[in-house]
Amino acid sequence: MDAIFDFLFGPLKEIWAYPTFFVEVVVGGLLTGVMYSLVALGFVLIFKASGVFNFAQGAMVLSAALSFVGFTELGVPQWLAMLLTLAMMVALAFVIERVVLRPLVNQAPIILFMATIGVTFFIDGFFQMLWGEDVKRLDIGIPKDPIEIHGVLVNTFDIVAAVVAGSLVATLAFFFQSTRIGRALRAVADDHQAAQSVGIPLQTIWVIVWSVAGIVALVAGIMWGSKLGVQFSLALVALKALPVLILGGFTSIPGAIIGGLIIGVGEKVAEVFWAEKIGGGIEDWFAYILALFFLMFRPQGLFGERIIERV
Amino acid sequence: MSRDAPRPIGDTLLKVEDVSLGFGGVRALSGVSFDIRKGEIRAIIGPNGAGKSSMLNCINGFYQPSEGRITYKGKARGAMRPHEAARDGIARTFQNIALFRGMSTLDNIMTGRMLKMNRGFFWQCLHWGPAQSEEIEHREAVERVIDFLEIQAIRKVPVGRLPYGLQKRVELGRALAAEPELLLLDEPMAGMNLEEKEDMCRFILDVNEQFGTTIALIEHDMGVVMDISDRVVVLEYGRKIADGDPEAVKADPKVIDAYLGTGHG
Repeated sequence: MDAIFDFLFGPLKEIWAYPTFFVEVVVGGLLTGVMYSLVALGFVLIFKASGVFNFAQGAMVLSAALSFVGFTELGVPQWLAMLLTLAMMVALAFVIERVVLRPLVNQAPIILFMATIGVTFFIDGFFQMLWGEDVKRLDIGIPKDPIEIHGVLVNTFDIVAAVVAGSLVATLAFFFQSTRIGRALRAVADDHQAAQSVGIPLQTIWVIVWSVAGIVALVAGIMWGSKLGVQFSLALVALKALPVLILGGFTSIPGAIIGGLIIGVGEKVAEVFWAEKIGGGIEDWFAYILALFFLMFRPQGLFGERIIERV
Repeated sequence: MSRDAPRPIGDTLLKVEDVSLGFGGVRALSGVSFDIRKGEIRAIIGPNGAGKSSMLNCINGFYQPSEGRITYKGKARGAMRPHEAARDGIARTFQNIALFRGMSTLDNIMTGRMLKMNRGFFWQCLHWGPAQSEEIEHREAVERVIDFLEIQAIRKVPVGRLPYGLQKRVELGRALAAEPELLLLDEPMAGMNLEEKEDMCRFILDVNEQFGTTIALIEHDMGVVMDISDRVVVLEYGRKIADGDPEAVKADPKVIDAYLGTGHG
C-alpha cells in the first residue's frame, strides 16, 4: 500500500517543492509537443482528404530534409534551397497522384495504405541514393542558447521551432476547417465515387493535399533535422506521431495539436519525475502506453469523428 | 400512378451512338445506341449483367467508352471526368448507396451545392464576407430540397445511422441539390418495401414534372418501370435488344425471351 502511495504521490511532493523546475519541464514538453504536432499534421491532412493513412509521411520528412541540406551543400543559398525543395515536394505530390493514387481510385483504404508503404520504400531509397546516406549537419542559424524567462530556463531554438510550427498549424487549421474546402475534403475521404459525382475534382484535391503535406514535411524536416541531424532515423520521428494521432483523432487538425502537446508534456513529466521510481527511458514508451489506453476507451481520439457502424 | 397530362418533351438531350466498352476480355457494352430527350423519363432495363450500370457510368464519365460517341447538349464529348460531367449538369445516384456516411443529412445535401458556390476561394477560406452570405443562400436551397423530400426530421442525423430507404432518399436529395439537367438514377428503389417504393416513385415523377428534369433510370421492378417511364431501352449481354414506349417493349418477344428464357409457352 505504502509503495503504491509512494509511487503515485511521491513525485507530486517533489513537484510541489520545486514549482519552477516543474514549469520548466512542462514548457520543455510543450515545445517538443509542438514538434510532434507538426509531424502528425502531415498525416491528418492526407487522412482527412483521402481516408488514407499515409505511411510515407516520415519518409517525406526525411527526403525534404535531405534535399534541403543537399542543395545547401552544393552551394545554393538557403532561401533558394528552400524553394527548390518545395518545388521538389510538389513534384513528388504530382507523381504520387499520377502513378499511385489515380490507378487506385475506389479501392479499399487498406489497399491505398499498402501502396503508401511501397511509396515509403521508394522515397527512402531514392532520396538517399540522390543525396547520400551520411549524417548531415543542418544549421539554419537559429541560436541554441538557453534564455531565462521569469526564472524558467528555455532553449531559444525550441521557442523558434514552436512559433514556426504553431503558426503553420494555425494557418492550415484555418484553411482546412473552412466550410467549402473542408467539406470537399471530408467528402473525398468518405467516398471517392460519390465525391466525383457531385463535381469534386478528385485529382486536383489530392495533388493539393499531398503538396501541402510535403510542405509540412519540409518544415518538420528542417526543424527536426537541425535538432537531431539529418539522417535516416529522422524518418522514425514519424512513429512518435502515431500516438499523437490516436490521442487527437485522425481527422482533426486541432486534435493533432492538442495530442502532440499532451504527449510532449506527459512524457517529459513522466521521465523527469517518475524515472527514479520505475527506471529511466520512460520517454521512449510513455506515448505508446497512453495511446493504447485511448484505443481501449476512446478509439476515435479526443476530437475525431464518431465511428458509426450500422449492422 | 401513371401520368395523364402530356408534358413537354423536347429535343434530344443526350445521344449515345455505337458505344462499346470492354474490361480486359469482357465486353460490357457492344455497339449500343439510344437517345434521351429533354424532359422525359427514360428507363434502362435488362437482366443482371446486361451492362446497364456500365452505360450510366459511361454517360457520367466514370468509364470512357472504348468505341462510339456520346453527344450531350449537341456537343460530342471527348474523354470526360466525372466532375466535368457534374459541371455540365449531370447528377446521379448509385446502386449501392454512395453517401458521405460520417456527415449529417444536411451536410450531405450541401455537398450537392459544391459546384454552385462561386465565391472566390480566398473568401471561402476566410469564411467571411461574401462567402458567409453565400453559405446562407445555399443553405436555403438545401432546405427546399429537404422539404421537397420530406426529410426534415433527419436533417442533423449522420446518414450512416439512417435506415436504407431514407439513405436512398438523402442520396436523391444530394443529386437534386445540384439542380441537374440530367439525373441518372441507378436502381433508386432496390431493396425498398412497397410504401417506400411508392414514395420514391412520387418523388421521381414530381422532380420530372415540377423542375422539368430529364431522368434516366435503371430499375428492376417492371411494374414501376412501365408506370413511370416514357420510353424504355432494353439491354442484354451488352447489346440493345429493344427500344420504345413501355407497351411496345412489354410485348416485344425478344424482351420476353431475355427475361423468361427461350422456350416459354
